[in-house]
Amino acid sequence: MKWVFAGAFVLLCLLAIPAYRGSHDPVTAGKTRIVWISDDNPVRKGQIELFNKTHPSIELKIDPTNAGMEKVIVQSLAGVGPDLFDCYNPFQLSAYVRAGIAADITDDMLKAGVDVGKIIWPAVKVTCVRDERAYGFPCNAACDAVWFNKKLFEEARIPYPDHQMTWDELIALAKRLTVREADGRAKQFGLLCDWWQWQSFIAMWGGSIFSADGSQCVVDSPEAIAAVQFLHDLIYVHKVMPSPADEASATQGGWGSGTISFFSGDKGAMAFGGRWWLCTLRMSKDLRSGVMPAPFGPGGVYRGYGRSTLVSANSKNRAAALEFMKYLAGPDYNQLLNDQGDALAPVPAYCQGERFLHNPEYPQETDNQVWADAMAKGVPDQVSPYVNGNLANRILTKQLDLVKNDQKTAADALRSAAKRINEEIAKGRAMAAAAGVAGRAGTAEKTGGRP
Amino acid sequence: MFSLVVSATNWSLTREEPFRFVGLANFAQLFGDKEFWQYFINTGYLMLGMPIAIAGSLCLALLLSQKLRGVVIYRTMFYLPSFTSGVALLILWKALYNPQFGPINAALGPIFQWFGGQAPEWLLSTKNLLGLHAEDIRLVWAQFGLGARDAMIFMGIWISIGGSNMLLYLAGLSNIPQELFEAAQIDGAGPWATFRHVTWPQLAPTTFFILVMSFIGGLQGGFESARVLTAGGPAGTTTTLAYYIYTKAFEEFQIGYASAVSWVLFIIIAVVTLLNWKFGSRETNDA
Repeated sequence: MKWVFAGAFVLLCLLAIPAYRGSHDPVTAGKTRIVWISDDNPVRKGQIELFNKTHPSIELKIDPTNAGMEKVIVQSLAGVGPDLFDCYNPFQLSAYVRAGIAADITDDMLKAGVDVGKIIWPAVKVTCVRDERAYGFPCNAACDAVWFNKKLFEEARIPYPDHQMTWDELIALAKRLTVREADGRAKQFGLLCDWWQWQSFIAMWGGSIFSADGSQCVVDSPEAIAAVQFLHDLIYVHKVMPSPADEASATQGGWGSGTISFFSGDKGAMAFGGRWWLCTLRMSKDLRSGVMPAPFGPGGVYRGYGRSTLVSANSKNRAAALEFMKYLAGPDYNQLLNDQGDALAPVPAYCQGERFLHNPEYPQETDNQVWADAMAKGVPDQVSPYVNGNLANRILTKQLDLVKNDQKTAADALRSAAKRINEEIAKGRAMAAAAGVAGRAGTAEKTGGRP
Repeated sequence: MFSLVVSATNWSLTREEPFRFVGLANFAQLFGDKEFWQYFINTGYLMLGMPIAIAGSLCLALLLSQKLRGVVIYRTMFYLPSFTSGVALLILWKALYNPQFGPINAALGPIFQWFGGQAPEWLLSTKNLLGLHAEDIRLVWAQFGLGARDAMIFMGIWISIGGSNMLLYLAGLSNIPQELFEAAQIDGAGPWATFRHVTWPQLAPTTFFILVMSFIGGLQGGFESARVLTAGGPAGTTTTLAYYIYTKAFEEFQIGYASAVSWVLFIIIAVVTLLNWKFGSRETNDA
């Protein structure tokens, strides 16, 4: 028996050699390798290939397995972090900066002729610029509009929408386009919208989560309550949107999210979503889609969001990482991103003109101006310097779950959430006062600065 | 030990305030933390399936200890869930629990409709068999029903019935001296009397061990299923203490507070185990 165990041990050791070699891909001679933690959206491959082609001395590699704020922070603090990592909202940026793992690249970028805060869409500035210091550069930018499925409109003998509607008009249209089986089960929905887009509705309705200075949670304002109640009513009163049970039948979230699958699978006639859907929708060869501007809420604005890539303060390849930042700001990347349909290019200057409006590879896509117009009306997400953003988000999610499941009214849920978040803010302010600093972050951090 | 030291600090990975020792402040905060108690109750609720799972393992072991043809194949089949990837199993159960297209509701739907009700929404619902309120620590009739917590319990029973508990019982059964069964037979004992007076007492040490391990596992558990199936929702109803520790440490980056919760969980487990030893071992010896 002992020889069996010894043999198995030797075999495992031998197998470990190719496994080790496979996991330690050697760097090509004369090249500097930089690692980018990002999601594994298929379009990322083209973005990396173009960078590697235009920067022969650098080898950019993606690491999707370590995506996640907790992994980035823990690995970076332990000295084994990436050179570049993604940031999705102002809270994440604030946390990365405070943790000391996001590098201030303002001066380096200025030397290269790039004033980050000035050349990007204002709505995504909060994901990479804090207190007027730049820590990265946006990879894309998005505001939502309404996608429509031309085939389902034709089947219903309804002309394609050709103007910006009011919400009342859109609901009436969605009702006509909702088709149910004899047992009442929906065969096709008039409108699709991911529940996590509640923030978009609050922005559109002129509400906000925090007050301008971040000292108070105001998600219980009449505007915010009306926005969330409206989203609830789309499911339960107007019955044009999938309920949580309907949604459970769709796939997981992310770049191939359930709502996109529903829409591309002819299960929804219209859908509230961003241009970033395009890179997934193009995979559905039979889908013929169009885009119209989303109706305005009382606020007359849209929620802007996006993804930035930040440079690690612990990167041993800072110069190469900065090259990637310059690449994100340059024409090659911006035009590629617009062509790929991974939302909008982060630099507005590239979101205009013939090159942007008419992609010769996809001549049927004639609605690009809608996205650029929406983005111009984008307002940024907000953050309070006195409360942990993930904690605030968890409190809100818990309450919004109850609204989504029709167990609580929007007013009750948002009042509960605001009360709880304000308790946390009070604690944060007390801590800040005790520590003798201006805010929880130790800086006069401001919120999004909505127009 | 490091985490014990950390539990006395305000350590946050995002450096929200200067690092300092706070003594027992985290523990004091914890006892006033409504969420902590809610998730403690969730953890206890999810352990309600434990007796059924243990009894099921015993029944299965009794069946599989019979001299049947192909018994090894049966044992392997029942043990399959234990060596199948946990995440794969959870995704399978997510599909089974789908309220619209899942086979469970396809089977149960007509029964519920016959009684004038609707099939449960399982992982999407905050309802539960005790009527626990979704936000507060109290019982309400409106919450009575089948929901995410119950779905977790049924899935846990299925996974654990054929698992290591069954193997332990099989080992325990094979260790019972054959003479005892023969003596019972000579005395005219039927199957139930043999089980009650021979098998069950002889298996008492095994049952005691399984009980202790199940309590420990139950109090530590719930993370994987909550992470994959529900993200702790809906409205926090499937968040257990283990998941809360993860949330506090790696989503909200409050390492000091998360360490304090970990130590309280450790103390709860230690106390429950000691109580088990104190009362359980006495019962075992009496048996």
